[in-house]
Amino acid sequence: MINWFASLPNFSAYGTPSYFIYLLIALVPMGIGLYFGKRFEWYEALISFIFIFFMFDGQNYKQAASLIVYIIYQTCLVMWYFHYRQKQNNSMVFYITVFLSLLPIIIVKFTPAMVGHNSLLGFLGISYLTFRAAGTIIETRDGAVKDLNWWKFVRFMAFMPTITSGPIDRYRRFSKDYKKVPSREKYLSLLQKAVLYLFIGFVYKFVVDYFFAQQWLPYFQRQAMAHAPHLSWWVVGVAYVYTGDLYFDFAGYSLFAVAISYIMGVETPMNFNKPFLSKNIKEFWNRWHMSLSFWFRDYIFMRFVFLATKKRWFKNRNVLSSIAYMLNMVVMGFWHGVTWYYILYGFLHGLALVINDWWLRYKRKHYKNLKSTKLTKFIAGFITFNFVVFGFLIFCGFLNTLWFSPAAMK
Amino acid sequence: MTNKKKLWSIFGPVIVAALLAFIFFCLPWSGRHSAATEQRAAVSLSPTVFKNRSLKVQALSGRHSKYVPFFGSSEFNRMDRYHPAVMAERYHSYRPFMFGSRGTQSLPQLFNMAMMPQQMQGKKAVYVISPQWFVKRGVMPSAFKYYNGAYANLMWLRQANPQSAYDRYTAKRLIQLLGDDGSISSYANKISKGQSLSKWDRWVINSKITLLHHEDNLFSGFFIKDNYDRRIKPKARLLPEQLNYADLTAAAIKQHDRASSNNNFGVLNSFYNRRMRGHIKSTANSQKHFDYTKSPEYGDLEVVLNQFHKTNTNVIFMITPVNAKWEKHTGMSMPMYYRTVRKIKTQLRSQGFNNIVDYSHKGNQDGFMQDTIHIGWAGWVDFDRQTAPFLEQSQPKPKYHMNDAFLSKEWLNLNPTKANLKQFKSNHQIK
Repeated sequence: MINWFASLPNFSAYGTPSYFIYLLIALVPMGIGLYFGKRFEWYEALISFIFIFFMFDGQNYKQAASLIVYIIYQTCLVMWYFHYRQKQNNSMVFYITVFLSLLPIIIVKFTPAMVGHNSLLGFLGISYLTFRAAGTIIETRDGAVKDLNWWKFVRFMAFMPTITSGPIDRYRRFSKDYKKVPSREKYLSLLQKAVLYLFIGFVYKFVVDYFFAQQWLPYFQRQAMAHAPHLSWWVVGVAYVYTGDLYFDFAGYSLFAVAISYIMGVETPMNFNKPFLSKNIKEFWNRWHMSLSFWFRDYIFMRFVFLATKKRWFKNRNVLSSIAYMLNMVVMGFWHGVTWYYILYGFLHGLALVINDWWLRYKRKHYKNLKSTKLTKFIAGFITFNFVVFGFLIFCGFLNTLWFSPAAMK
Repeated sequence: MTNKKKLWSIFGPVIVAALLAFIFFCLPWSGRHSAATEQRAAVSLSPTVFKNRSLKVQALSGRHSKYVPFFGSSEFNRMDRYHPAVMAERYHSYRPFMFGSRGTQSLPQLFNMAMMPQQMQGKKAVYVISPQWFVKRGVMPSAFKYYNGAYANLMWLRQANPQSAYDRYTAKRLIQLLGDDGSISSYANKISKGQSLSKWDRWVINSKITLLHHEDNLFSGFFIKDNYDRRIKPKARLLPEQLNYADLTAAAIKQHDRASSNNNFGVLNSFYNRRMRGHIKSTANSQKHFDYTKSPEYGDLEVVLNQFHKTNTNVIFMITPVNAKWEKHTGMSMPMYYRTVRKIKTQLRSQGFNNIVDYSHKGNQDGFMQDTIHIGWAGWVDFDRQTAPFLEQSQPKPKYHMNDAFLSKEWLNLNPTKANLKQFKSNHQIK
């Protein structure tokens, strides 16, 4: 059985142009149903199952087992907490439940740093599923989640278009879409956007990113490695090219996920909004990987600020927000993985947010007459962009290879 | 707008565009290339030429094609005035069609050859083997992917025979190197298990090949690196009119001394400045642990040999030297190098591949090396002296007798001492 499973072909989500042909053909009956005001739930479940199956079969079969166990675990946890919350609201119980929900990802993220190999519990997309589950628990505590149905929750967790890499939806929003069928007008406008997003995604991921990922990045990395372990101007090139690669790959992917969601009649939130036009780092995080940074904003930053205000931990409001920024970004660093470069990346972005706030206060006080012109906007955007690129150079781990394990590239 | 019209405005353009693109690629575009394009393709050393079909097939087709395939790796990019392409331009009736860049080791070459078996049938070829290929892990997956494409893989799969140990081996390697994602690997998986491809598989493979064939015809001729006009043709004029190898060697040694004046390794000045300066201390004794004697590359070489056997190609092999001064500095073991070469030659000779130019002991000869591991100058002169007669004069028909014991783990991991080689041969009834 396992042999048979391991021998099947594997198709990662949106990996090749032909993937879209299979996927879109499979979605046609659903689309026709939605157009005529019917949601074929069983058909949608079947299609989702088949496509998720092909993401995790073949040599990834161990991941498939982890995925199934993980979803059962989180569903039990969330359902249990929901029933508990109807009667009681003890904060200790809440914290323990959140901790249990985060436990698998904590194990998965710390395992490589502790024992040197990847955890068996891990599977592609575990981080994104964790956000969905933990977010649902938090909203349950707030009383915002009014009805929770295990089947709907499983469908939310394993929503095929976004299962491996987001965007991160919220249960409340998802279940609202899922309950109703969009009107014909609405559905047509969703389809129109879906087609547009798919084609922008094709240009991003299969055309532009081809140059960044296949042509330029390996070239710059090779050149930079020729000087290892010393720095060279090539490393600067790696930083810019990696930034381009990351953006076009991830933004392309996110557009696909959103477009396919739309075709399935679910308005998954957008993930990117021209991030490189940001004029400060705060704006950047409102435009880059939005579903992730909003998640962190709502569930870490705001929670911490509320808690600290309530308990009066800090006298000064600015100190409070600075600490909250640092906490927020360092946790995000840890979430990416327990390596020096992810943590440093989070730390630097936290620091940048603190400095940005400080600068805005300072400017208000001392440069009241400074006008916002095209020039100041350009300078602000220039600084922000280059800081972001520098951040990604650390984030991508190339410096780690350059300095500590040059053999890995040769 | 009515909903019907709206639907049409959303999907109409997509459907029309998809249809047009489909029709476009289904049209039987002619893939004729001009002689000038072929001339450039022959020495461009680019992955486009390597991975596609139309350029090489046109150049090598026909009984009287002047092009001869040269398979190798990065040494072909050492284009001084004695480079085989320059020498051929000046003195010979044939023209090398070169397949080789850094990373084009045996397995990429196999897929390259699998695209043109008819063109190689009963003809001659040159195959340059670098012992540096035979590292513990064999060809790097990234290098393999860079020179490998769906077109070659599908063409290979179409003719793969699940009963053949060679094809099962190749299929296994293909999966190892590409990963198990996607349809190529699932076809290869069937072959590796000895199962035939289904009718449906074949239909899919054939239709994909048809589309790729048209794409190849349409686009391969563009953007070919122009080494010919920049680095080959101008240098041919620098050579004397009469071919005299002794004179050329003497001149090459002189030029070598002039061009490698800024270092003690006999390495081209620009190479030294770019790659070695400042790293001399850190590279001392850095290659002490290098070992080329055990490698999957021996199996990869075996499938290439089998391909030559299948197409009955008469091949001359060259085994490359290493710069002796450089190896002394890095501490690489020369006895290990010689054992590697012995293992390679055993594999060649015992299966009837007897035309071997072994340069492994030439690394300390004057003017022979262009840099640390690539020949140039006097090395290229001698290469021409050895290969040109083979290519220009008629040769006895080769008699190959393959033995798939050379695909076994036992052979790949055999420590090639004389005793071990003898034992291996007698175990497997190899002469």
